[in-house]
Amino acid sequence: MSLSGLTDQQAKEFHEQFKVTYTAFVGLAALAHLFVIAANPWF
Amino acid sequence: MSDIAKPKNPDDDWKIWLVVNPATWLMPILFSVLVIALAVHAVVFSIGLGW
Repeated sequence: MSLSGLTDQQAKEFHEQFKVTYTAFVGLAALAHLFVIAANPWF
Repeated sequence: MSDIAKPKNPDDDWKIWLVVNPATWLMPILFSVLVIALAVHAVVFSIGLGW
């Protein structure tokens, strides 16, 4: 039994979804930053 | 202390969920990301870089 109670299989399965969602978040944030740079560069 | 096997990341990243249970901590993690994002926006607006 792990500290969190998850099995290795469950942890790997959750991590795959976590990576997908996190990648989408970073992609959207990068896109938003590009719009801001295009509209109002801060450097 | 140094005899504990060192993780090899990102290959071992998934093991965090063997310690942190997402059923308990996923929402607190997402809310803290939101709080950080709001804080960054507040700072950026306060230094006059808002629209």
